[in-house]
Amino acid sequence: MTTVPFPHEHEFETQDLMINMGPQHPSTHGVFRMVLQVDGEVVRDVVPYIGYMHRGGEKLAETMDFRQGIGWMDRTEYLAQHNAELSYVMAVEALAELEVPERAQWIRMILCELNRLSSHFMFTGAFGTDAGIFGTAFVYSFREREVILDLFEEISGDRLMYAYFRPGGLAWDVPDNFARRVAEVLKSTRQGIKDMDGLLTENEIFRARTVDIGKISAADAIDWGCTGPVLRASGVPLDLRRTEPYLYYDQLDFDIITGTNGDVYDRFVVRVEEMRQSVRIIEQCMERLRPGPILPDRLPRMLRTPPGEVYLRTEAPRGEYGIYMVSRGGNRPHRLKIRSSCFANLQALRDMTIGSYVADAVVILGSLDIVLCEVDR
Amino acid sequence: MNNDLFGFEINVWADAAARLGLIVGLMTVVVMGLIYGERKIIARFQQRLGPTRTGPAGLLQSVADALKLVAKEDVRPRSADPWVFELAPYFVFVPIFLMFVAIPFALRWEIRVLELGLFYVLAVSSVNIVGWVMAGWGSDNRYAMLGALRAAAQAISYELPLVMSLISVGIVADSFNLTEIVRSQGQVPNIVWQPLPFFLFFVAILAELNRTPFDIPVGESEVVGGPFVEYSGIRWSMFFLAEYAALFILALLGAAVFLGGWAWPLGEEWGLGWQLVLTALKAGALIFAVFWVRVTMPRLRIDQLMAFSWKVLLPISFVQVLANGLVLVYEPPQHIANILLAAVSGAGLLLVVWIMNHSVGKPRPRPVLSPRAATAPTATRSEAAR
Amino acid sequence: MRGLLKSMGVTLAVFARKPVTREYPDTHRPLPERDRAFPLLLWDHDLDEPFCTGCHACERACPVECMTVLMKDNPNHRTQGGDSTRRKIVDKFWIDYARCMRCNICVEVCNFDAIAMNNTWQGHETSVYDRADLIQDLPQLLAEHKAGAIKPWVPQ
Ligand code: SF4
Ligand code: SF4
Repeated sequence: MTTVPFPHEHEFETQDLMINMGPQHPSTHGVFRMVLQVDGEVVRDVVPYIGYMHRGGEKLAETMDFRQGIGWMDRTEYLAQHNAELSYVMAVEALAELEVPERAQWIRMILCELNRLSSHFMFTGAFGTDAGIFGTAFVYSFREREVILDLFEEISGDRLMYAYFRPGGLAWDVPDNFARRVAEVLKSTRQGIKDMDGLLTENEIFRARTVDIGKISAADAIDWGCTGPVLRASGVPLDLRRTEPYLYYDQLDFDIITGTNGDVYDRFVVRVEEMRQSVRIIEQCMERLRPGPILPDRLPRMLRTPPGEVYLRTEAPRGEYGIYMVSRGGNRPHRLKIRSSCFANLQALRDMTIGSYVADAVVILGSLDIVLCEVDR
Repeated sequence: MNNDLFGFEINVWADAAARLGLIVGLMTVVVMGLIYGERKIIARFQQRLGPTRTGPAGLLQSVADALKLVAKEDVRPRSADPWVFELAPYFVFVPIFLMFVAIPFALRWEIRVLELGLFYVLAVSSVNIVGWVMAGWGSDNRYAMLGALRAAAQAISYELPLVMSLISVGIVADSFNLTEIVRSQGQVPNIVWQPLPFFLFFVAILAELNRTPFDIPVGESEVVGGPFVEYSGIRWSMFFLAEYAALFILALLGAAVFLGGWAWPLGEEWGLGWQLVLTALKAGALIFAVFWVRVTMPRLRIDQLMAFSWKVLLPISFVQVLANGLVLVYEPPQHIANILLAAVSGAGLLLVVWIMNHSVGKPRPRPVLSPRAATAPTATRSEAAR
Repeated sequence: MRGLLKSMGVTLAVFARKPVTREYPDTHRPLPERDRAFPLLLWDHDLDEPFCTGCHACERACPVECMTVLMKDNPNHRTQGGDSTRRKIVDKFWIDYARCMRCNICVEVCNFDAIAMNNTWQGHETSVYDRADLIQDLPQLLAEHKAGAIKPWVPQ
């Protein structure tokens, strides 16, 4: 454990208080633990501890064939399961050189963007609670998330662990009333975004709590390996949907949202605006969705890949979710490594937190929007 | 020696006992009602239903909670300071109940008419912070300690605006007797002539009650309940009881001092029933406002909270007291005095709002990067890997 | 102050809306037909025997290895004087619901459409006091479809 020696300004001898936050603490977003060294209310040092959630998901996935592994990806990223599955199946498709039918791609995009919406709702809700609202933001966000999860359940059969994407396409087609249901969901979602925006964005107390807190410069954010909204809030327009388009993102019209200040407020606003962009993307996808097959014609019963390796990254709600996969032939990966966006974002926590107040530490952690399952895999 | 209790001749001691019983009994029932009401109202604010499963429409939820809390084991951490830890709840609980003595519900419906009733209430209400600090210190828990220190700082800072706002009303009413203050409001309640003190009062009671945006000492997401983190069962419920009792009493106080109590707008001739309804309605409105603020506001940070009190509220409340004094010293005719008071007070309120607006800064324009231009596709690394 | 008032306005507007709570144990939301609770076996009502032939395909494909299948000769087969075309049939079948991750793979790999995910609320409400009670044997797995209590959905 390293501690930063800090010159004491007091005349008399004082001792900093060590506060252990987590792994059971209401605002550590799961089983995350940080030890704060505080002088009064000011944080002098913070030492994060991770690993409470480690289940060896990567190693487990190496013992699974390509269909079985999908379920494991769900469980690494339990707020953006479709996005996690997408990286995995796309990596397998790259290795096996599978052509994915057009309809399957559009449906994948719709589901991934819906999942981004539900994940960002979860963020705004939890963040509101971190900032001290008595559950209101949380309940609003869960109300909207529930609507999206209902749709996911109608499509894939499960509310959280969808296991719906398959190498080459989708497990099965969406139900007939898909278009109507998506329109309903988007209507409710727009109202939800409006509520959330009205509740927090302009609120003076909220701004007093978030503006200029936990600032990180673009250069630092890049150095720490931050991706996703955390990086974009610092002003770096890196969005894999734009910079290295996958699926059909290059055919669509949407904006990349960047902040200017790199503080907690920007991270919040960037996410809220991204939700609006996601709604735009889904609308465009729905226009382009045509009937057709959802799996390639000639798919072997047991998928085998030629030897090779691939690193495939997609833009998940929390940033770059990458899969590095090595195949030595056969029906399962020889080596699988998940590039976790939260893990990289969390590295910047210490830099952001030192020198702020205890209450800020909570808000900063909340603004990183970590999913501990993804950090620890 | 006999006393008069609501029209009955009664022995002094029996009188005291009866009044004491009244306080405790009434308080417990009211607090249970308040807890139920808060849960239902906040649930509606969040599009939920609130308690539904105990009794019809969940009416017995508070009773069930109380039974559960009483039946629960009273745990004391081994390293806690036994006396301080065990006594702390009483230091919070008793002062709050003592406040009740001087609060009037209706004409001649109070435990005791005190000539300096307002002073008494304020003096007693600030004692309970001792209990908070005792709880924080005695628990031997760092969250509790942090919470207790925050509570002490906050209580001291917000006690002053509270006192000043009530004193300025006392000056206008020419009395510190609560019954007199209600009477003196006559046709128009004090909130019209004294909007700034009302605002100060409302903000200060939010802070006194540790409710958002000032729930810093107990902030769930930071210090996990603050000084109470180690308490359980009956001792914890005493804190809880005291908190809601304080909410009720301060709402009654606000209704009497600023909203014309039982008199306005019906006057004192209407019967006791109407007076009680009026008081309940006004206190209810204040309590509803507290709940409403609670579901809407994020929590301030401790330094912002202190700055707001010491740099904004306190100076302005001093100015208000001074202005009220000046206006009344020169004894202008009643209506001119009223208009002057309202003008000064309104200007002060506007000043507070202005300061609040400008201390935060304007919302930044929403940054949006226009499509495509700045972000041309680059070669994918996955392609390179293959 | 404007932002604060706006926030208060939002909460007040929501106050006027109807609550969205689903009172769960009292009212059960209708489940979509694709809902996946836990796998169960289907009953061939025409021949009065399970569809399952005990072919072990699902057992091998299950990622968490929570299934155990045993096969036997079908006493009801044509050669034995019965009217079934199934030469082999399931003898014993266990699924440990405590381990099952509800991934639907067993349903996809079955060539005989003999297994499906339970899409009723009974399938979700399986709390027990002992994990061992979650290990379902063949009669338990067959019971619901035998009684006609579920309408299975099997992806094509
Ligand atoms: S659903 Fe998945 S985990 Fe469950 S029994 Fe079937 S294959 Fe195994
Ligand atoms: S359920 Fe299907 S796959 Fe499993 S053993 Fe029976 S027939 Fe074979």
